[in-house]
Amino acid sequence: MKIAGVDIGNSTTEVALADVAVAGAPPRFLASSRVSTTGIKGTVANIPGVRRALEAAVERAGLKISDIDLVLLNEATPVIGDIAMETITETIITESSMIGHNPNSPGGLGIGVGETVRVGDLDIVAPGRAVIVVIPRSHDFERAASAIGAALGRGVDVQGAIVQGDDGVLIANRLSKVLPIVDEVHLIDQVPLGMLAAVEVADHGQSIQQLSNPYGIATLFQLTSQETAMIIPIAKALIGLRSAVVVRTPAGDVQTRRIPAGSLRLIGQHRTVVAPMDGGADAIMDALAQAAPLQDVAGEPGTNVGGMVERVRHTMSGVTGKPANTIAIRDVLAVDCLVPQRVAGGLAQEFSMENAVGLAAMVNTDKLLMEQLASALHREIGVPVELGGVEANMAILGTLTTPGIDVPLAILDLGAGSTDAAILQRGQPVRSMHLAGAGDMVTMLIQRELDLPGAPESDVAEQIKRHPLAKVESLFHIRHEDNSVRFFKEPLDPSLFGRVALITRDGLTPIPTHHPIDRIRTVRREAKRRVFVRNALRALSAVAPGGNIRALQFVAVVGGSGLDFEVARMLTDILAPHGIVIGTANIRGELGPINAVATGLVLSWVERATTGGGNG
Amino acid sequence: MPQISEAAVREAVREILAQMQLTAPAASPAAASAATPSDGAGVRMTIRDLGPAKAGTSPTEVVVALAPAFGDKLKMKTITGIPHAAVLREILAGIEEEGCTGRVVRFWHTSDVAFAGNAGAKLAGSGIAIGIQSRGTTVIHQRDLFPLQNLELFPQAPVIDLETYRSIGRNAARYAKGETPSPVKQKNDQMARPKYQAIAAVFHIRETSFVDRAKKPVDVEVRFA
Repeated sequence: MKIAGVDIGNSTTEVALADVAVAGAPPRFLASSRVSTTGIKGTVANIPGVRRALEAAVERAGLKISDIDLVLLNEATPVIGDIAMETITETIITESSMIGHNPNSPGGLGIGVGETVRVGDLDIVAPGRAVIVVIPRSHDFERAASAIGAALGRGVDVQGAIVQGDDGVLIANRLSKVLPIVDEVHLIDQVPLGMLAAVEVADHGQSIQQLSNPYGIATLFQLTSQETAMIIPIAKALIGLRSAVVVRTPAGDVQTRRIPAGSLRLIGQHRTVVAPMDGGADAIMDALAQAAPLQDVAGEPGTNVGGMVERVRHTMSGVTGKPANTIAIRDVLAVDCLVPQRVAGGLAQEFSMENAVGLAAMVNTDKLLMEQLASALHREIGVPVELGGVEANMAILGTLTTPGIDVPLAILDLGAGSTDAAILQRGQPVRSMHLAGAGDMVTMLIQRELDLPGAPESDVAEQIKRHPLAKVESLFHIRHEDNSVRFFKEPLDPSLFGRVALITRDGLTPIPTHHPIDRIRTVRREAKRRVFVRNALRALSAVAPGGNIRALQFVAVVGGSGLDFEVARMLTDILAPHGIVIGTANIRGELGPINAVATGLVLSWVERATTGGGNG
Repeated sequence: MPQISEAAVREAVREILAQMQLTAPAASPAAASAATPSDGAGVRMTIRDLGPAKAGTSPTEVVVALAPAFGDKLKMKTITGIPHAAVLREILAGIEEEGCTGRVVRFWHTSDVAFAGNAGAKLAGSGIAIGIQSRGTTVIHQRDLFPLQNLELFPQAPVIDLETYRSIGRNAARYAKGETPSPVKQKNDQMARPKYQAIAAVFHIRETSFVDRAKKPVDVEVRFA
C-alpha cells in the first residue's frame, strides 16, 4: 500500500511517499516533495499547501492522489512564533548646534573656526574677522566660490563653509586657499547665524579628530571645565564621521535619550521577574533565566512593549480561536541590535545608530486543531488521514536514516518561527524543547540593521540571509565575499555593473543597497550567530542529560535552515571543541536536512504496524 | 442669495493676478539675482576643437560624448529649451564633485545616443561615458557593453531637468570609482510622448544631417562664461 507522510512546518510543507509491500517489510520510498506552507501551521488554511505537496509527490512517482491509501499527518509542534522590534534610544539635537553627517563628497580639508555669516552678507564683513560662510542652494558654486575668493582678497579670514547643495568639492576646487567645506546640509536656513562655529573635514578614508574629542571642542571654543562636561554627547555623536560642524549656541545640546519602552513581566512557575526593555537584551535574558520555567509574559500596559506582547497574543487568538487572555507565551528571545534612525532636530538628514531590542515570542497552541485539520483534509482529498505522532519523535526517527549516525542522538531543527531540539537516549522516551526565535528573526535583524525595505513589499532581507554575496567588479569578473575572483567569458547583464549581488541558483541577483559587501556580510553573520547559535546552545543544554552539552554524542541539524550555507559550520565551530559530532543530517542518505519528519512518519507507521500485528 | 456673475469672477481673478504681480518679485529676490536660475538661462559656453580623440589612460576620466549637433549648432537648446551650455556645465560639475575629471569628446559618425555613448566609453580612461544628444536624451555607458545596452538610460528628454543632469554626471563618476550608486531617479510623464514625439523626430533628423561617417571623434575644449 502507498503511504504519504506529511509534515506541515512554519514555512514549508514536506511529503514523503512510500510503498509498503507487506506489513513488516521496510518501506520503499517513491518520491518526496517540498512546497511553501499556506497559512499559519496547524490551521485549516494549510490544506491548499498540503494538496500541492501531495500532488507534486505523486506526480514524481507517476501516480494520482487517489492512489494513496493513507496520509499521515504530524502532530505539529504546538508552538507558533512571532517577532517584533523596538528602538530604545534616540538622538535629539537642540538649537541646531551640530551637523554631523557623511556627505558623499565634502570639500577641502582641515578645521576652521569663525562666526557664521550668510554668503550674501560676506561683502560687509570687516577684514580680519574669522568667519564660516553659510551657502544656500540659490548660490551656484561659481558664484559662491567667487564671493569667498573676493572676501579672502579683502583680508576677511574665511575659515570654512557650510553648503546646502552637493557642491563642496566644486567650491573647494575654485578657491586658492584650502578650506573645510561641509555640503548637503538640507535645512541650511536653520543654521544659527552670527554664532561661533567650527567646521572640520577629514582626509579621504579618515575620520574627524578635533570635533570628536571633547578637549578638542573645548580648545576651539575656549570652554571651561564645566562647559566641557556638557559637550561630551556632541563629541560622542561625531565619532567616526568624515565631516562635521559644531555651532556654539546658548543652550544647544545633543542628547541620547532612552525611550521609555516599558518593561516585560516574566511570569515563571515559582517567581515573577520584571525586566525593563531599555536594559537591553541581556537584562531580559537574565530575567528569563531567573524566572524559568516560564509560564507567561506580560508587557507593561500603555507602552511599546505592552502593545507588542498584546499583538502577539491577538494574532495567536485569531489563529487558534481561543480568547486572548488564555494564550500563554512560553518563551522569548531578546536580541540587541543597532538600527539606523533619523536624528531629531538634524539639519542634514543625519542618521544615528540607535539601540534596539528584537523580541521573538513563542506560544503553545492546541492539539485539537490538528484533528480538525486532519478531518478537513480527509474531506478535501478523499483519502484516510491519520495523526501520525509527535513531531520531535518523528524527526528523530527520520534523522536516524542519516548514514553514520547513532543513538544517543540530539537533533536541532532551526525552523522559521522556532528552534526545536530533541534527544533520544537508549531506553528513554524522546525529550524535546521548543524555543522562540529562528529564521524569521534573522531576517528581521538583517532588514532592520541594513535599513532595507521590509516584507511584504520586498524579500531582499530574506534573500540576503539565504545566499552568499559577491561584488560585480567588471562585466567580466566578480569578487566573492571571501575575496576570490571568478571570471566570465560572456559579459554579465549591465544591471549588475558595480553592484553587490547575491549568488543564487538562477545566477546573480543585484541587491538594491548602498552598503558595502563587508558590512552586509557582518550583519548577516552576526544575526545568525545571535539567533541560531545562541538558540542552538540554549536548546541543546535544555535537552542534554543534566543540562550538560558535553554529554551529547551526535547532533544533527535538520529542517529548512539546515540548508543554510553557513549556520552548520558556525555551530561546528562552537560545538566541535566539546567533542560532539555535529553536522547537517542527510535524510535517507540523499535528501539532506529536509524531509526528516515526513520520513519519520512513514517509518513510525511501519514500525507500529509490525509490532501491533499489522493492523494496516 | 447673491448670484456669482461672470463679471464678478473676472474682477476677482484680476485682483488676485494684480496682487501676485506685486508680491512675486519681492518674495524671491534670491532667485531673481542668482546667476544660474533653475532654467539655466544666462549660461554661455564656447566649444573649440582640440584634435583627434585618443583613448585615455587616467582611471578618473569620464567622457562626455556629444552627438554632432550638441552645443554649437541649431538652437543650442534641448527639447524643453534648456541651454546646452547649462546642461554640459551641470554634467561636468557632477563629475567634478565626485573627484573625477570630465573630458568632452565630439562624435561625428553617429547621431545615436547609445552608439556615441558606447564609443565615448571606449575612449574613457575609466571606461565610463555619458552620451548626450542635442534634444537632451542621455545615457550612461560602459565600454564592455554592447551599444544598445546601458548602465542608465534617460530616454525621456522632456522630463530631464538640470538637477537630473547633475545627478547623471555624479552617478557616472561613481561608476568610474567602482562604487554602487543608486540609479538616478527619473520622472515619468505619459504626456511627454504624444506631446513631444514629432518635435523629437525633427531634432533627430536635424542632428543626423550633421553626421559625417568618415569623421573621427574630436577632443573639444569647453569654456563657460
